[in-house]
Formats: sequence, C-alpha cells, structure tokens
Amino acid sequence: MNTNAKLFWILCGFFVLADIAYTVWSIVVHNAGYLTQLAGVQAPGTDPGSPVEWAGTLAIGLSAIMSAFIAFYLGRSHRSVGGELPEDRLDANIDDGDAEQGFFSPWSWWPVMLAAGGALLFMGIAIGIWLAFIGVAVTAISLVGWVYEYYRGNFAR
Amino acid sequence: MFFAGLFAIYFTLRSTSPELWAAETPKLNVPYALTNTIILVASSFTAQFGVFAAERLQAKRTGWNPVKWGMVEWFFASYALGAIFVTGQVFEYANLVSENVSLASNSYGSAFYLTTGFHALHVTGGLIAMLLIIGRAYSVKNFGHKEATSTIVVSYYWHFVDVVWIGLFLVIYVLK
Repeated sequence: MNTNAKLFWILCGFFVLADIAYTVWSIVVHNAGYLTQLAGVQAPGTDPGSPVEWAGTLAIGLSAIMSAFIAFYLGRSHRSVGGELPEDRLDANIDDGDAEQGFFSPWSWWPVMLAAGGALLFMGIAIGIWLAFIGVAVTAISLVGWVYEYYRGNFAR
Repeated sequence: MFFAGLFAIYFTLRSTSPELWAAETPKLNVPYALTNTIILVASSFTAQFGVFAAERLQAKRTGWNPVKWGMVEWFFASYALGAIFVTGQVFEYANLVSENVSLASNSYGSAFYLTTGFHALHVTGGLIAMLLIIGRAYSVKNFGHKEATSTIVVSYYWHFVDVVWIGLFLVIYVLK
C-alpha cells in the first residue's frame, strides 16, 4: 500500500508541475496575441480578456488536489492497517494482485425476470397504465427473488 | 452525474428567468423544509450506527438501550426517519400545488419537481433496499460478513442520497 501512496504523490507532483507549465504557457501565448493587438492585427477596443486560461488551470489544479486526497488516504490506511500488497514487492507476479471478486451466482433466472419486469413497468407508463401494474408485480417478485436467492432453500444459512 | 444534470437544469433556468424565481420562491416553506432536512440527516446518523453494529456482526439488540441496539433496530429507525421525510415531501408538494406551483405550471415548477422528485424517488429506493437488508438479517441464523457488507453498501447509498439533498436544500431553499 506504501507504493500506491507514493505513486499518487508522484501523480500529484506531476499535476502541480503541469499546472504551472500550463498557466505560464497560456500567459505567454496570450501576451503574444496582445502584441499582435498592439501591432494593429486584433481589432482595437476589443477586450483582451484574462491572461490566465481558467478552465484548464482549475481542472489540472483540482487533479493535483484529488491525487493528493487519494495519496493521503492510502498513506493513512497503510499506517493504521499496515499490510504488504503485491505492488510493494519486487518479486510479485501480476496474478498476485487479483482482487477478491466476492460471490457471484453461477447462473440465475432472476436478473432476466427483473429486466422483463422493469421493461413491462416502463412500457406500461408509456403506452397504457394497466400494463405498469403487471410490471410492478413482476419487478417486486423478481427483486425479492434475486436478493434472497442464496438465503432460502438449499442455501439457507 | 445524473443529479449534476438536474442541478444544471435548475441553474440554467434560474439564470434565464430570474423574475420567475422572484415570484415563486416566496411560496416555499423554508422552516418546514429545514425540519425535513434535519430528519433526513438524522437518518444518515442512525444508518451509520447500524453499520457500526453490522461491523460488530451484531444483527439484533441485546437490550432496549440504544447502545445495545443491533443493525436491525438502527435500520428500522433509519427507515422510519426516511419514511417521515418522504411523507413530509408529499405534504409539501400538496401545499405547493394548492399555491399553483406544479410540474406543468412554469419552468420553476418543472425544475423544482424534477430535482426534488427524482431525489424523493432515490430515497424511496433506499427505503426498499433497507427493508431487504433487514429481511436478510432475519433470514440467516448467523449474521456474517456477507450480510455486514450488504449493510455497508446500502449505507453508502443512503449517505449519498443524503448529501445530494443537502446540496438541493442549500440551492433551492437557502440560495433561491
């Protein structure tokens, strides 16, 4: 986790440098335009505008701040929880970093039922409200069926 | 992203027709909405205490004292507070419609009901999710990590919906 934190601190530093470069560059380019105005190319009396391009300056600056958030959070988590991730080891393999995928049903009809219920519900709202009532019933049954699929029958714990 | 779009609708209409806002916003009952907001924020706190209980893998209470409550009791409390919030919204809508602010009355009405209405739908979805989580706690003999995880996931959703409402409340009722 230490490596992850460091990576995000590096990313934060990169965004700070990029922001400085972007801001300076936009001022330079703007002033170049200002010089053409002095030479009479730009229409006289038009507002030259702000020398800083605020949209990009803010976006890159916020990217730096958000990288710092994640880096700070990872550093704090590392200090309180500890633990060595594969990213911290030089001899780790790619598949050592496989995340815990959680539990997924090998197959289930409930998502298909739920999709059909939702389709009926919204089709009913669009073309005839009587259909929506059937859709609500199918949706409710399949939602409960899906949520409790592994909580009853063979799988009851 | 979805709510950002709704906020953008609200801000755009506000900037193009300020006179409509001047005419319609005095009809809002701000103390009433503030009370409702406090109820919703309180439900986030009770939901978080439910998460703490779930992380102790404690589904049910060991006494009437809230310190001894389990996840189920805290989520029932959150459900009650959330349900009071939605009921309060319904009464507020009824009052506003009686003052001729409706979805079809003008662009202020459209923006108001779209933003708060979609939020209320999300709250209702969260209420249903809480009931399903409470049901899971009752359907197992041993409340385990799988049930605790689903509790935490629903609480994340609930906190998100709560934060969106704080934004909506500040924009619609405070800034106007």
